[in-house]
Amino acid sequence: MDLSPFETDNSVSCRLASQIPDVCRTEDCCLGIDEAGRGPVLGPMVYGICFCPVSKKQELKDSKVADSKTLTEAERENLFQKLDEARSYVGWALQILSPNTISTSMLQRTKYNLNALSHDTAIGLVQFALDSGVQLKEVFVDTVGPAEKYEEKLSKRFPGIEVTVRPKADSLFPIVSAASICAKVARDRVVKGWNFAEDLGEVDTDYGSGYPNDPKTKAWLLKYLDPVFGYPQFVRFSWSTAQTLMDSKGVTVHWDDDEEDGEKAAQRQNNKSMLSYFSASAGGNDQNPTHQTHRFFTERRLKSLNRL
Amino acid sequence: MATKKKRTLNVQNDSWVVIAADSVMDRHKHESDPAFVRLRNPSTDVASLYMLSSDDVQLFEVKAFEEDFHSWFVGQTVQRDGRLLFVTLMDPLYLILPYLIKSGREGKFQPVDQVVMDEEFPACSRLLSCTRSLASLHHIAEEKEVGKLKYHRYSQEKTMNWLKKKVERTVIALKARNISVGEGVKSSTYVRVKSESDYDEEDYLRYAHGLISEYISEDLSKALLKHLKLPELTSPKETEPPSKKRKLSDKPVEAGEDYTKFNSADFVRKPLKKMTAAQKTLAKVDKTGMKTMSSFFSPKVKAEKK
Repeated sequence: MDLSPFETDNSVSCRLASQIPDVCRTEDCCLGIDEAGRGPVLGPMVYGICFCPVSKKQELKDSKVADSKTLTEAERENLFQKLDEARSYVGWALQILSPNTISTSMLQRTKYNLNALSHDTAIGLVQFALDSGVQLKEVFVDTVGPAEKYEEKLSKRFPGIEVTVRPKADSLFPIVSAASICAKVARDRVVKGWNFAEDLGEVDTDYGSGYPNDPKTKAWLLKYLDPVFGYPQFVRFSWSTAQTLMDSKGVTVHWDDDEEDGEKAAQRQNNKSMLSYFSASAGGNDQNPTHQTHRFFTERRLKSLNRL
Repeated sequence: MATKKKRTLNVQNDSWVVIAADSVMDRHKHESDPAFVRLRNPSTDVASLYMLSSDDVQLFEVKAFEEDFHSWFVGQTVQRDGRLLFVTLMDPLYLILPYLIKSGREGKFQPVDQVVMDEEFPACSRLLSCTRSLASLHHIAEEKEVGKLKYHRYSQEKTMNWLKKKVERTVIALKARNISVGEGVKSSTYVRVKSESDYDEEDYLRYAHGLISEYISEDLSKALLKHLKLPELTSPKETEPPSKKRKLSDKPVEAGEDYTKFNSADFVRKPLKKMTAAQKTLAKVDKTGMKTMSSFFSPKVKAEKK
């Protein structure tokens, strides 16, 4: 697995893929989708697909791929090796969503939540397989959110393909297990060799599992909190763990889409209460009630100062 | 998720982000530094910030661009206020004018250095060092020379002509810069059917007058409006909202329109001149034994009588 395309710029989303086996272009294929790194506050989320001809399902089963969570890292590496050896009939593709992509998606003005991001990434990968000429007939997915809704969404999006969405699909269908192994291996490797874009000097890489409840991760987050900038791009800013720490230890930053109490916000912006328009004019509260700055200046937000 | 953030008041800055003309910093010939000074704003009559270049050669006004939620990254530091200061050249005559008007009420010719004095803003006497000040005093005052000394007296007539020229020049600048002078806010990306050139000359004059009024007293602004022969607009603040009820009067109520012509004897509904093909074929249909459409809507009076 060559991770260099992602490592050259780990701030964006990146797709990695194996060669498409010739047999997948001619025979009916099944495809599994799974993800790794949904929960951690550190590092990327990786989406993986794995596909093979329906006729080769048994061979895949015999290679004893299993749910990646039940395996040790060494076993996963081992199984990935096996999948690589089976490249004549097994293909895979990965979408690495950098922590920065996750942060910016979830924190942008029109919020793009993690479920929507996950669904769209999965759809993108299936479309990639189709575009590459893989003869897809069956798709198996480990669910994100309610299974029926997700299944309906995918079936509508890909008519003619039999879509099966099941919780725990990674332990039910070998092709999903294979996908989960690819995703997990990629995530492990990326996290281990993370290239910090920030100039942090010698970085302490002992950040534990990256999950919010890991004490090591928490200690690392405290250590690398910059009062102005928050965190390196390795951290998902949208995670409440990171947000809480930044709120309490960092400098307060205000954005103009911060939610504030309507009345308070209005007061801050010197807005008038609607009611004031109905009462008899009592004059403004300005120093000089008769003077109204010309709109040339007000439209350009320009004002005179009386001191620096 | 997000806790309520407290907004603390702006901490005093010791640096500013400023856009200024090179001439502010022109130190080839001069010794002293340019300096921010507080002077009486001729329009608001309270303190405003100005800048005098080195050796008080030029006067600049200071305007700040200020909007919520802005900050600066300056080199390796963060500056909390996102304020951008503009230091732009200004005619010192605007600031001298109120002092001349004040002394002009006495009607005497006086030396300007005795006129331009202010206990509250002692820096105002430095305005007279500006290169343009003394040379352009004749625009707003009559001059008398006795020996080597010059005496001045405020002239409303001269001032009005001077301000009128200012307005006219502003109009030229507004047109050259394509500044929207029409009513309403205009977005630069929003293309109007009506192009800028369609705005009335009056719109430009009024807008320019408003701009110049930012630099003169309200009385002078009103006088200038008259001088420009622009009718005074009543501001919406002063006008009462129109009452919805029509005022009662003793006169008998009369109809606003005359409908009686339809009732006259010679009024005949004219047949339609042209009928469409469909209407023609319908007209040819045998209608015997058929009720008219309207009969279905009239009250069934006849049937009851029988």
